[in-house]
Amino acid sequence: MIVFDKNSQQQLIDLNKSKNIALEGNIAKVIDADDNIEFKEYLDFCISKDKEIRRRRLEITKQVQIQNKELSELNLENQRIMTELQNTLTSVEESKSQIELQNRELTSWKEDNQRIGQELRESMIKSEQARIEAENAKHVAMNDLDLLQKKSQTELISVIVKVSLGVIITVGVITTIMYMISLYMNKDTQIIGSTWSNMLGILLTNAFSIIGTIMGVKYASKEN
Amino acid sequence: MIDSILLVDDEDLFHLVFEDACSLLDISLSLKSLNSSDEAAKLFKRWLTGDNSDRPECVFVDLNIIGSSFDGIELIRKINFEYGNNVVIGIISSSDEPEEQAKALQAGAQFWIIKSDDIEPRLDEFRQDYESYKNRTAPFKIYK
Repeated sequence: MIVFDKNSQQQLIDLNKSKNIALEGNIAKVIDADDNIEFKEYLDFCISKDKEIRRRRLEITKQVQIQNKELSELNLENQRIMTELQNTLTSVEESKSQIELQNRELTSWKEDNQRIGQELRESMIKSEQARIEAENAKHVAMNDLDLLQKKSQTELISVIVKVSLGVIITVGVITTIMYMISLYMNKDTQIIGSTWSNMLGILLTNAFSIIGTIMGVKYASKEN
Repeated sequence: MIDSILLVDDEDLFHLVFEDACSLLDISLSLKSLNSSDEAAKLFKRWLTGDNSDRPECVFVDLNIIGSSFDGIELIRKINFEYGNNVVIGIISSSDEPEEQAKALQAGAQFWIIKSDDIEPRLDEFRQDYESYKNRTAPFKIYK
């Protein structure tokens, strides 16, 4: 314990009375009053005043501590929200990148589709042209075939006509010769004469019939 | 009354609370406060090898001391097993984890005071038990 002399004790007491300045802190607890009742009361006053100040300070410090704790919790919450926001932002950016990538792929597909569509259209046009060409070729071939058939028919008809005319002429000539021989040799010409007459009539009729048929066929073929 | 106390805690505001509470409860007249376990370890090293006149009688250590190389339990272990086991030492923390309390007991902590807005009743109870801690007769106790 610390002991002050009487003069110092009185100075401290007077200072407190005149200026309201007293010892503060634990120092007052380690000073011995030395049987000075007035100084002991002064020390008790200092200790009491110090306790009152400490009590008030303790309350304030506790309040500040509570506020700090709340602020820390708020700060933690803010940090958590910021982290979540950051994560969300990152996720959104990733989604954006994915969407952009998908868009690029879709654009690429669209371009491919457009290119393929264009190629298809060109192919269709070519195909249409090829179809038209094929149809034309078919028509040409059919015409050629028709012509060929007609030519064959015409040739056949020509052969038939020639043979028929030949047969007719030959039969006419032979019958005529036989009739002329009969006349020249004064033989009976009744049978041969009627035969020649009938034959010639039949042959002429047939010849005209054949010629008419041929002319009709030719006319019909020309019309087609 | 405890001759001198050392508080190791990273929270400056708690230094003020602890100092005022100790003064109001007449627990101790001398209080030293440190912010890190590294500073405390340095002091104990010095006290082990040199002048130890200002060595505290009782040490209160926070469990998680931010900005330190090691936590409060490791500091207690070092003080007990490396720097001489002649102080009353324990944890003062807002944590109430039984696993941590078991670790603290293994490291040589004698008490565990749970920090709260109303710390004075616990410190007062601790003050009453202090002599038994000093005599090493009290078991590990948690002040809730």
